Amino acid sequence: MARFDDLLNRFFYRADENVGAWLELAPEIADSIEELEELPEEFLAFELSTETYAVPIGAVREILKVPLITSVPRVAENVLGVMNVRGEMLPVYDLKQRLNLDSTPQRVAGPNDVPRETRVVLLKDPEGDAGILVDRVKGVVRLMLSKLEPAPTLGAERRAVAGLGRKDGQLYILLDVEQALG
Amino acid sequence: MPPPRALSEFVAEANEVLETLAHDLAVLDAQRGREPEPDLLNAVFRAAHSLKGLSAMFGQEKIAGLAHHLEDVLDALRLGKVQNSDALVDTLLEGVDVLTLMLREAAGEPANPDTHPRAAAVADHFARLAGGGQATSADVLDEVGIDPAIRAVFTEYEEHRLRENVKKGVTLWKVRAVFSLEDFDTRLAALNTTLKPLGEVISTLPSSQPGDDASIAFDLIFGSGRAKAEIEKAVEGVASVSPLTQKTISPARDAVPAEFTPAPRKPPPSALFLQEASAPDLPAFGGSSQSGVMQGAEPSLRSLAQTVRVDISRLDGLMNTIGELLTVRANIQRLAEVARQSGSTPLPKLWAQELQKESRALERKLDDLQNGVLDVRMVPLVQVFDKLARLMRRLVRQSGKDVHFEVAGGDVELDKLIVEELSDPLMHLLRNALDHGVEAPDERIAQGKDARGVIRLKAQQLGNQVQIEVGDDGAGMDETRIRQVAIERGVVTREATEELERRDLLNLVFLPGFSTRQDVSELSGRGVGLDVVKTNLSRLSGLIDIDSRRGEGTRFLLTLPLTLAIIRALIVGVGDRTFAVPLNSVTEIVSVKPAELRTIERHEVIDVRGQTLPFVRLARVFGLRETPVERHFVVIIGLAQDRFGLAVDALLGQEDIVTKPLGGRLRGVRGIAGATELGDRRAVLVLDVGALVEELKRPTAAVG
Repeated sequence: MARFDDLLNRFFYRADENVGAWLELAPEIADSIEELEELPEEFLAFELSTETYAVPIGAVREILKVPLITSVPRVAENVLGVMNVRGEMLPVYDLKQRLNLDSTPQRVAGPNDVPRETRVVLLKDPEGDAGILVDRVKGVVRLMLSKLEPAPTLGAERRAVAGLGRKDGQLYILLDVEQALG
Repeated sequence: MPPPRALSEFVAEANEVLETLAHDLAVLDAQRGREPEPDLLNAVFRAAHSLKGLSAMFGQEKIAGLAHHLEDVLDALRLGKVQNSDALVDTLLEGVDVLTLMLREAAGEPANPDTHPRAAAVADHFARLAGGGQATSADVLDEVGIDPAIRAVFTEYEEHRLRENVKKGVTLWKVRAVFSLEDFDTRLAALNTTLKPLGEVISTLPSSQPGDDASIAFDLIFGSGRAKAEIEKAVEGVASVSPLTQKTISPARDAVPAEFTPAPRKPPPSALFLQEASAPDLPAFGGSSQSGVMQGAEPSLRSLAQTVRVDISRLDGLMNTIGELLTVRANIQRLAEVARQSGSTPLPKLWAQELQKESRALERKLDDLQNGVLDVRMVPLVQVFDKLARLMRRLVRQSGKDVHFEVAGGDVELDKLIVEELSDPLMHLLRNALDHGVEAPDERIAQGKDARGVIRLKAQQLGNQVQIEVGDDGAGMDETRIRQVAIERGVVTREATEELERRDLLNLVFLPGFSTRQDVSELSGRGVGLDVVKTNLSRLSGLIDIDSRRGEGTRFLLTLPLTLAIIRALIVGVGDRTFAVPLNSVTEIVSVKPAELRTIERHEVIDVRGQTLPFVRLARVFGLRETPVERHFVVIIGLAQDRFGLAVDALLGQEDIVTKPLGGRLRGVRGIAGATELGDRRAVLVLDVGALVEELKRPTAAVG
């Protein structure tokens, strides 16, 4: 099936495809393509366990190396604690449990408890900015909003997935930040 | 239409003028029935005048109009055409209240339907008062004989003051002084200060016979009952004294009491407002006594209050900066420590010394900065005391009781935030004292007390804390009734009350649900909203204590920290966690061995010098793993009237901290007030001691 997709993709033009080289050869069709073209949105892609997730780039405040994290009593299990970002005290969340990637809550108190590639992605949120711990930041990916698939209903816990994006054979799971942190 | 910024500045400034006015009127009220002090009258008059000018400039015609009427009445009072009476002060205070309401409307608050009818009534009243002055009798000034050339330059007010002095049989003097042009202003002010205790400087006139080009001569028209020799001695080498009038007239001519001397101030016989005695001498706003020519040049829009208005949000920003600077300091210290310990390389030793020196200098500067900023936040309690005094005046009137309201310590300063938050609790306590503390006059006489009751509001600074007392000499609280009611309402069990000491028994009234409004009369009233008072105080890290004796009165003692912005905190360790405990709620630290713990109904308690306190393990409260210890460090927490021991594993020192809220999503975690950063930039959680106490008292809570 994946192979068939691949063949189709190679054969047909896709709106998000880079066709710059062809446009140079046939400049007269550039305008008509521009009209059809929907501008792709930028997403930040990162890995959690074996899966690749993405959030709109506009929702990301910054990417941090793992700071010292102070655990807070009496909060939900997915809260790792608070970190000090230049004087601001912000919560750090572990999403793995909520996303069924891990069954036991991790304890992370600082950079020494995690692999070197681990990062905290600081997300902007009207309820208060918050960091999420990710295993690796992959970079920025451009996805067409019209091409996103709705999340399949696999179980009750899929609310944190806003949709699925596909590019170059890679599946990007779009995170519903509000649900994932709640 | 002025831009919003100008409007808000107008509102702030006008508000300050009104507050000064209200304060001065309160002092005037204390002097009612007597001749008010000229300086005070001038200050009040000027405040009204400033308000008029200020509001006219900002197009606030209604306020300007009423201020104009107010000014007329005050002018009439100043000129002696109207007597200082109860009714007058009532009207003036009503005027200030209405002006305050109008100002609120100008600031954009919803309009109050009462305001306009009230304003019209007050304006009408003012107009009648100002117009109704009696004509002056035969002019005594004609009789004493003053050089017409001098007399021609006096203003109406100055003539009035001259007349008053003459009527009292006081001699009028001309004090001639010659000053160099370079420093005549300061020396003239100094001369005024010298003369003031001896009598009244009525006018300052530039002399008609000037000295040479480099100097200027002044004639101070001075009324004094003292002998010429005494005045001459006081101004020796500065000025010469000669009589202004050819003759003196006998004081018996007029009914005005002769004992009036402007200074030194005597407390008024009724001593209704102690604050009058403690208030700083009214500053000469450009020289109230150096009137005449100099007064004409004075800008009338000058701000009356000698305070700086600072936006609190700007201060908060400054505070944050300081918090970060404190961290820098800690960093440098840590670096120095590290460098000193790795002393094997040739460089570090000297380097470490330098660094340490720097760190000390930085620390000193930080201290200065911190104190400076804290000072800016400090405001005198008189800001809230004045409002309370006005409220009490009205409430006493309404209650029909005879009560003497004493205020003292208005000059004690506290963080602005705390002062603002204090007005409600204090109002509650004062209202209670009036409604249910002080008895009716006949009842008091029957008990052999003075018919006039006393309610006291007193503040004093004790080290880093401020203590405010609200007391009355009324009926006091009935402990047996408190016990009964507490048991009836299920606040405590009968057995529990047996063990309670007097103090604890009285403190039951602070428990929520202790009393309802119906209990008020039966229980000599205490209990109305006292739990609210307590909660408000806890929020300010304040303590409240109560002392009451049957038949002698009740006394509430409020203890408050000077500031909440930067606090000193005790850093404690539990397992591998670190927490900060605000030191203002820590009364002492003790250490106990596990074997010394006792239990009551399976709750652990400790004995601290004969007092049994709940023993709470912080690890258990927060569900952390407990490590067996040889001895517990117990931080004794005292918050309002509650005390308990908080067990921790280690004491790690003291730090100045700035508490920051946890980011939005974690706000409201019970028992955590926020976080602060220590030297290594790590976030450390700050305990919310008030919330822990509340939890401890809830019987179902999983504490202890």
